[in-house]
Amino acid sequence: MIRRRGIAEGFGVLILGVVLLPALWLLQMSFRHNDDIMSASWRFVPTLENYTSLWNGQFPGSFVHSLLASGFSTAFSLLLGVPAAYALARAQFRGARQIGLWILATRMAPPIAFTIPFFLAFTWAGLMDTVTGLALIYVTFNLALVIWSMRGFFAAVPRSLEEAAWIDGCGVWSAFLRIALPLAAPGLAATGILCFILSWNDFFFALILTRTRAMTAPVAIVNFMQYAGWEWGKIAAAGVLVMLPVLVFTFLVRAYLVSGLMAGGVKE
Amino acid sequence: MLAVVTLGPAAYLLVTSLTPLTPVNPDTAFDFSDPLGNYRQIIATDEFWDSVWVQIELSVVTVVTQVLVGLGLALLLDRPSRFLEALRTGFLVPMVLPPIVVAIIWKIIYTPDISPLHQLLAWLGLPIHSLITDARTAIWAIAAADTWEWFPFTMLMLLAALQMVPKEPQEAARIDGANATQLFWHVRLPYIRPTLVVAALFRLIDSIKAFPLIYVLTDGGPGGATEVTNYYAFQQTFNFSYWGYGSAVATLMVAGVFILSLVVNRMGGEAIDD
Repeated sequence: MIRRRGIAEGFGVLILGVVLLPALWLLQMSFRHNDDIMSASWRFVPTLENYTSLWNGQFPGSFVHSLLASGFSTAFSLLLGVPAAYALARAQFRGARQIGLWILATRMAPPIAFTIPFFLAFTWAGLMDTVTGLALIYVTFNLALVIWSMRGFFAAVPRSLEEAAWIDGCGVWSAFLRIALPLAAPGLAATGILCFILSWNDFFFALILTRTRAMTAPVAIVNFMQYAGWEWGKIAAAGVLVMLPVLVFTFLVRAYLVSGLMAGGVKE
Repeated sequence: MLAVVTLGPAAYLLVTSLTPLTPVNPDTAFDFSDPLGNYRQIIATDEFWDSVWVQIELSVVTVVTQVLVGLGLALLLDRPSRFLEALRTGFLVPMVLPPIVVAIIWKIIYTPDISPLHQLLAWLGLPIHSLITDARTAIWAIAAADTWEWFPFTMLMLLAALQMVPKEPQEAARIDGANATQLFWHVRLPYIRPTLVVAALFRLIDSIKAFPLIYVLTDGGPGGATEVTNYYAFQQTFNFSYWGYGSAVATLMVAGVFILSLVVNRMGGEAIDD
């Protein structure tokens, strides 16, 4: 048994190595001199010139747009979704299954179906190519996720604690803020991070609903591919910068991530 | 309010799909003279049916490989070991990476000039042509990239399910002389089957939304070989400005996805009830 476990561990490391290789390749490319990229040699003198040239171009701006759109949508979704989730967790509510289905539907619906109406509405409302518009569209899918996952976390908070607070003179609202919310704080953090990752990773909405003023980092990378004459070093460096925040956050919420991505599919 | 956020766009989409809307001519937004015109046209368009076929091909290939690879690795790594548990975090990487970064990574791998894969094969004496510019191989190249991105999802779900399988039936079967293969088919598989089905359905539905990989790697080409329905709708709407027509295609997609979602919701319930 011990020996077989050793073999499984060895295989595990090997497979993980192979799986991560393509991402590591991107990382090493981002440190290569542009003339070095075509060469087959494994040895090269690392350089930061790809990163400095990104810093001096339009890229930092689009990075900030990404941060703002993801941050705003996360904050707004939590602000709206957390109280709603609390109400759903505490009220004896029979439509829970319908909510699950609704959440599943928003997660499952092909983005193109949202994009066409939003494009028309945004053009009419002057929200095209604005960070606000983008944040708004991210709220539509983040809200469902927040409600679904926070409802689970609130359900895990014992009711008796709030009842004790009520007896001690707390109102419903302050019992929520002082008792339930702090107890569900780890869940809140995980949910927020997941919302942020999902917004940050979006490419499709940003591609269609932004041009230049609100262009996000993923769209900026693609523009490098089309206009900048295939500067692979720069593309790789931009890719590394875009994936960095996601990797840090993933490490923080690793235990929760898979169930979060399954939102609505399995009843808690 | 929640309903407004979701149903509003859906209703708008449906209305638009009944008009020949194109931004070139604003009057077309309220032209309901031929409400089913778009749908009639869709049915008569070969390109649409081709895209559906490409979609089915891509979805079936990726879901099957992701489930098989995920299951195989989950069985391999399902051992009581702290070390393996720590290793799992690493497997999250491909599926949480921004899809556009995944697309860049594979664009590099499939571009002969700079590709480590092409260099390695040339060094081994097996040079190959670019996989994404050949209509016969392009869809497989996309399927491979998609599998890399998403097999961790099925794998991690199945690992979690395998660890929930109670120990007693496995012990009993072993005492009765069952070998590893029999143990898998008759004891462990029935326990993890609901998870397997849900994971596969999730992947199936997500595969319908595949976009960044196709956008960056092949742009639907060569010659429509990788143009899935989602991409077809995108092209018709945002490249050719056939808004009404694109909306009609999107409406059909929503209908299809909704039916699949109902199935998932039911199966997800069963997965817990069992």
